[in-house]
Amino acid sequence: MTTPGESAGLGAPVSPPESRRWGAHGWQPWGLSLLLVVLLMVALAQGYKALQNRSDAPLFRVVVSGETLILDAETHAAFGRELAELTQAAHPRLLQEMQPWIDDRVDASFAPLEAAVPAYLDWYFSLRGSYHRLGVAIVGDLDEWLEAQLSERLIEESGFASALAELQEDFPAQLALTHQALAQDIGRTLHARFADRQAAETSDSADAIHTIDLDLSLSQAFQGQWDTARWGTAGAGAVVGFVTSRVLVQRLASGAAARGARVVAGRIVARLGVHGARSLATGGTATAATAPTGPGALLAGAATTAVALAGFAGTEYALLKAEEGLYRADMAAELEAEVARARAEVKGMLESGTAGSAVVLAQRLEGATRRAEESGGVSERYRIFGGDG
Amino acid sequence: MTRDAVARWLPRVRRDGHLALVVAILLLWSLVGSGLASLLLLPAWVITAQLIFAGGLEAARLRRRAWLGQYLRIGSPWHRWLRGGLVMIAWHQLLGILLALLLLVKLRLLSPVYWPLLLVGIAGLALLRCVMRRRLARHVIAEYVPAVTRRLLVWPLGLLLTVSLVLMALWLPQPYLVGLGWEEALMRHVPADGHDSLLGFFERLARVLEVTQYWAMQNATERGELSEGLALVGWLLLFLVQSAFAWAYVRLLLGAETLREATLEALSMKRGKERE
Repeated sequence: MTTPGESAGLGAPVSPPESRRWGAHGWQPWGLSLLLVVLLMVALAQGYKALQNRSDAPLFRVVVSGETLILDAETHAAFGRELAELTQAAHPRLLQEMQPWIDDRVDASFAPLEAAVPAYLDWYFSLRGSYHRLGVAIVGDLDEWLEAQLSERLIEESGFASALAELQEDFPAQLALTHQALAQDIGRTLHARFADRQAAETSDSADAIHTIDLDLSLSQAFQGQWDTARWGTAGAGAVVGFVTSRVLVQRLASGAAARGARVVAGRIVARLGVHGARSLATGGTATAATAPTGPGALLAGAATTAVALAGFAGTEYALLKAEEGLYRADMAAELEAEVARARAEVKGMLESGTAGSAVVLAQRLEGATRRAEESGGVSERYRIFGGDG
Repeated sequence: MTRDAVARWLPRVRRDGHLALVVAILLLWSLVGSGLASLLLLPAWVITAQLIFAGGLEAARLRRRAWLGQYLRIGSPWHRWLRGGLVMIAWHQLLGILLALLLLVKLRLLSPVYWPLLLVGIAGLALLRCVMRRRLARHVIAEYVPAVTRRLLVWPLGLLLTVSLVLMALWLPQPYLVGLGWEEALMRHVPADGHDSLLGFFERLARVLEVTQYWAMQNATERGELSEGLALVGWLLLFLVQSAFAWAYVRLLLGAETLREATLEALSMKRGKERE
């Protein structure tokens, strides 16, 4: 316990009512705090509002769909949000509108290839084709030759190659057309929605009006996409390059049935033996040329070759027919399946090209609008894209 | 068993419950979403301001009384006139309100990594208080022991907390701003469209300060040359902001102690009167 004297050393003893007088205890200081904080908050909020109004007061002149709209800051922000929404919705719409075109054109391009398959099989299993194949199997690289035949007969002669090239040229143009139509549609929609929400123009604040030419931005965004060079990676170029390349031919040639047919040829070659192979390859003439004794020997050499060939033809023709019976149906199915697969792949790549273009479109639109806004001096808060954190 | 636990914890809760309450309020404040936070700004601000005010006013009165006791005669009415009135209260209210605002806004932006540090600060406060009270009890007039303890606690606690906060701020990763212009740095790292309210405005303001500090510190050494002005701005901002935050936090905790004591005293007085 402290004695009064000690306590007085630090100051006069304080009676409770006095200490309460200036709000040192009880609820008064809370009230005072509350009052001060509320006052401060009101003042600050007013200041903040004033600051906001000052910095955001200007009106926005937006050129859209060929007409000029005067919007105040809030409407302009709403306008920006709607534009962003429409651009987002443009993505599925673009795919939707491109889909029928892609389907039609891809089907049309692949039709000659499909039509060429039976003719190719006819040739493959014809007498002439079989012997040609056999001959190549004996003297050279059968795989390479078959691939060359495939690409020549199936892809070039059928007109598939030129159809694909045409598709490659038409795709970007069609895409750009669709983009343009979409942009006009977006512009019209925005114009229709905001035409009656314009701010009453005040002539004295003409300096405070920012002009944003959305038409120009939109057309710039789409104009860039006419440029097919930019489309090399995302668009059709890569697709068509892929399909006409050796890969498709190799895939066509490497089916199980096609390989089985080739194995038969190989077996025949083995049965002919090395000697027969040589005689078939170089013909009787080689033997004749190296024969030491005159025309008789020449005749004998030719006769040997002829006999060998005739014997071969007699014994192996049946085998070739059997081969056709065995493998033709499978090969036809395989080739058709490969063609269908290639068609699906081309379609898929065109679709992904369209989707990629939609993304590019959104980015370009964003970039163009941002540039337009920057030149228009729009404050960061009311940026149309990317402002909302 | 549970009764034992309750019996063991009850005195502790009675002794440090107010600190736990304060921390719970602060934690809640830093965790709620921005919409709710703008609604809660007024009560949170009033409560924190009031706590800081209570501690500050007590310390100021103590200081004034000591000074007056040094020079004035015991019976002089000047004791009453000069003991600290409207001006002192207004000054401390304003100081409390500003510190509370700083504390609250900084808490909204505070990374959760800081929270263990703040909790350790509370534990340190409780520990130091116990030790000091025991030591001081032999030398200080019993009536003033709690107040003097608090007075002596402010500086060591505040300094320790400031140093740890500064170290923490230096240790934590910052956005990379080297070579950027100041405006560009602000454009990139201050959220352009936060919550559109007073609190959102303060948060953006605090964020601007923070980004400015990072930017100044990171760009102070340019091409091997030290730019003194930038370095000064960066380090000053760092020290000022962190020390003000630590100061406000410590004052808040000690204010909670003061207020609790005053409330208990008032209650016991009331009871005494009722008994009479």
